[in-house]
Amino acid sequence: MTRGEGTELSALRRWRLVGALVLWSVTSLVVFVAAWQAVIAIFHPAPYVIPTPHDTYFAVTHNWSSIWPLAVGTFRETLYGFAAGAVLGFFLAVAMYKVRIFRSLSYPFIIASQAIPIIAIAPILVLVIGFNIYPTIIIVAWIVFFPVTINTLDGFLNLDADLLNLTRVLGARRWRRFWFVELPGTVTPLFSGLKIGAAYAVTGAIIGEQADSSGSSLFQYQFAANNSSRTDLVYGLTIVMMAIGLLWFVLIVGLDHLATPWKHRPTSRRWRDRGRTTSTPSLRNE
Amino acid sequence: MGVSTSTVLAINGVRKTFANNVALDETSLELTAGSFTSLVGPSGCGKSTLFNVISGLLRPDTGSIALGDRDITNSTGHVGYMLQKDLLVPWRTVLGNITLAAALTRKVTAQDRREAEQNARRYGLGEFLHHYPGALSGGMRQRVALMRTLATNQSLLLLDEPFGALDSQTRLDMQQWLLQIWADLKKTVIFVTHDVDEAIFLSDRVIVMSPRPGRVVADIVVDLPRPRTLETLTDPAFVDFKREVLRLLHRSSS
Repeated sequence: MTRGEGTELSALRRWRLVGALVLWSVTSLVVFVAAWQAVIAIFHPAPYVIPTPHDTYFAVTHNWSSIWPLAVGTFRETLYGFAAGAVLGFFLAVAMYKVRIFRSLSYPFIIASQAIPIIAIAPILVLVIGFNIYPTIIIVAWIVFFPVTINTLDGFLNLDADLLNLTRVLGARRWRRFWFVELPGTVTPLFSGLKIGAAYAVTGAIIGEQADSSGSSLFQYQFAANNSSRTDLVYGLTIVMMAIGLLWFVLIVGLDHLATPWKHRPTSRRWRDRGRTTSTPSLRNE
Repeated sequence: MGVSTSTVLAINGVRKTFANNVALDETSLELTAGSFTSLVGPSGCGKSTLFNVISGLLRPDTGSIALGDRDITNSTGHVGYMLQKDLLVPWRTVLGNITLAAALTRKVTAQDRREAEQNARRYGLGEFLHHYPGALSGGMRQRVALMRTLATNQSLLLLDEPFGALDSQTRLDMQQWLLQIWADLKKTVIFVTHDVDEAIFLSDRVIVMSPRPGRVVADIVVDLPRPRTLETLTDPAFVDFKREVLRLLHRSSS
């Protein structure tokens, strides 16, 4: 009666999926480096215009002891900013969903907030708040909250009307309905928003680091490398920044996977469902 | 069945219009406790409108709904309601879906879970208690949806084409399964369907409706003996009922 054959098969399929993901990631990396190498082989650009992948790699590894703490610093900025932006974005979406007047009132401001060129206001934020981590956190949160709010709100507004009617027939209480039906029904668009936010978070952090010219940061380090014509290091640091963005994306995808077990498992594996009942163990997964 | 003749649901002169369309013309019906009644009719005959009024989702222009001696017009939470779409929530297991009504109104107790589990086991879902709906076939999903409806402990069940999306084989199984539950639990059922065979096979009473404006054109008592089996479907008396209902349906739509 179940779809997808037996449970062993689906476990096997899961590992195949992970394997495919790793394989494709490695393949893209190889293709990227090969294309880079090909450009150099064909056009012979000066090393200060496009360095070789080899030089870029060693520029990073030789300076790793300087780069690592700065990369951790940038990661920390994205962490705080992302968390703040995600929480703000989520609660804004909830408020806009629940309070119609607030939705109409706030929508233009939310769109306008993204029309402001952040690069232009970053120095102002630093002037007002000071030369510290906070302007950067605000900028990251500013960028992250937007896709979270828009996607989550769309999710709420597109919940199945029949399902919501059914909850009414069942006599649902308002907040219980929110917790048991509306919120879980919006998990997928919420995570879409978080994924977009994750990809942009590093960009926000780097803009903040650029404005905070007094600090020692990944951007300021890259800026110095550029001033000393260390193009290989400039390229290398760009790749490090990219890697932080990718790391965020992977983290969110993993979190999504954990938050939505019903999408990839036939049965629940919560502890309280085990042992308590005597259901046929042969049909349980793992 | 004739076990009880007390009226459990009284629909008194209910009428509903949308814009200038009369979706349901003035309709009155009385159902006895423990009876199984089917509504048949083409699309637009007001079946779903009537259900939405009974469940309290729609406000009738005129008329009232009484359940026992309570007036339940415009108020929800008094009936069990099930649609063709199973509306299972994908993030809760079979047990979680069956106890959804409890979760939406108060804290789910161990008692709720025990009852849900007993009913699920008794009616063929024992192997799937911890499965997510995504892993179930259409027929199984509809069983879970009916179990969820039963778990509300309402005496009146509104079933709006619950088997409409199933293949005919599964549908026959489900009809017999439903009759079993109905006989065990002594519920009062109103069942909407397009399928004349289904209506006669299941019901004590078949109500034929016609569209534009939606209204009742015939009220037929089906006194075929119970329990009904596959043989019932080819019984001459069954065929007589079917001929009669088809004639009424055809007349009212032309």
